[in-house]
Amino acid sequence: MAQSPLFRRVRWFWLLLALPALPMLYAVFTGRADAADLLHPSGETSVRLMVLAMLVGPLCRIVRPGRILRWWMARRRALGVAAFCYALLHLAFYAVDMETLPAMLDEVPLPGIWTGWVAFFAMLLPALASNDAAMRALRRGWKRVQQFAYPAALFTLVHWGLLYYEWVPGLIHFAPLALVHSVAFIRSRQPRKVFAA
Amino acid sequence: MKLPLSVLALSVAAFALPGVASAHGDVTCHGGPKAGWKNQETLKAQLTGEGWKIRKVEVSKDCYEVYATTPEGHKVEAFFNPASLAKVIVLRRGQVIYRAPGH
Repeated sequence: MAQSPLFRRVRWFWLLLALPALPMLYAVFTGRADAADLLHPSGETSVRLMVLAMLVGPLCRIVRPGRILRWWMARRRALGVAAFCYALLHLAFYAVDMETLPAMLDEVPLPGIWTGWVAFFAMLLPALASNDAAMRALRRGWKRVQQFAYPAALFTLVHWGLLYYEWVPGLIHFAPLALVHSVAFIRSRQPRKVFAA
Repeated sequence: MKLPLSVLALSVAAFALPGVASAHGDVTCHGGPKAGWKNQETLKAQLTGEGWKIRKVEVSKDCYEVYATTPEGHKVEAFFNPASLAKVIVLRRGQVIYRAPGH
């Protein structure tokens, strides 16, 4: 069956999203890097994609969506699912580094770790629901499930800050999201102009 | 839904904050001039003898920074004075589990 140009473009986009994982996997499988060395790059890639996925919605509420925003909006789902896939990769590197399940469980009470687990499970729900079938099945509840991305973002920020011993890099990554949401919120509170007939 | 979920998330996240370690870049070991530093192999041998499993040793400012597993099985980042090889601070996943007096 012939594929539409749009379908082909979306496939290329998935390939583009997979690119950052290739050097990470190559490094770990060839022994050039330890799994622990790849925790930060995989986590940071996940955060960047998460921010990109979450940014476009409120942006479209602030400005009239032009060509770029429409292109970006059409790829929001792919960005969100890719963010979760990198979180999964991050978790896989963590599991390899920790070696055993008891060692992983031993670290769960540590704030830097449990915040990561909470963020992961909060991301899991919208990721699982990011398909047309789930959208149809959940109906209005689908949007609620997608809103779990917000606590996921918050816990990701805390997880990063605690483990990196520094808050600035995480805050810089999430700042555009906070800014755009603030502007969208303020706009939504402003009374609409009513023109006299 | 949006507001309660956000408030709940903020409250739970706040519980994580008391355990914050000092910024990674703040760690100083008073290592003195590099000419007086002992070599990394000596530190590795010392720690291995104490039951540590060393993953990586690197220079961080005036410290030797060691990524290792302690004899208790904890994955840690530990900072050592490179001149005396004395342990200065040990961090475990964002928490300080050892700090030498005066640091």
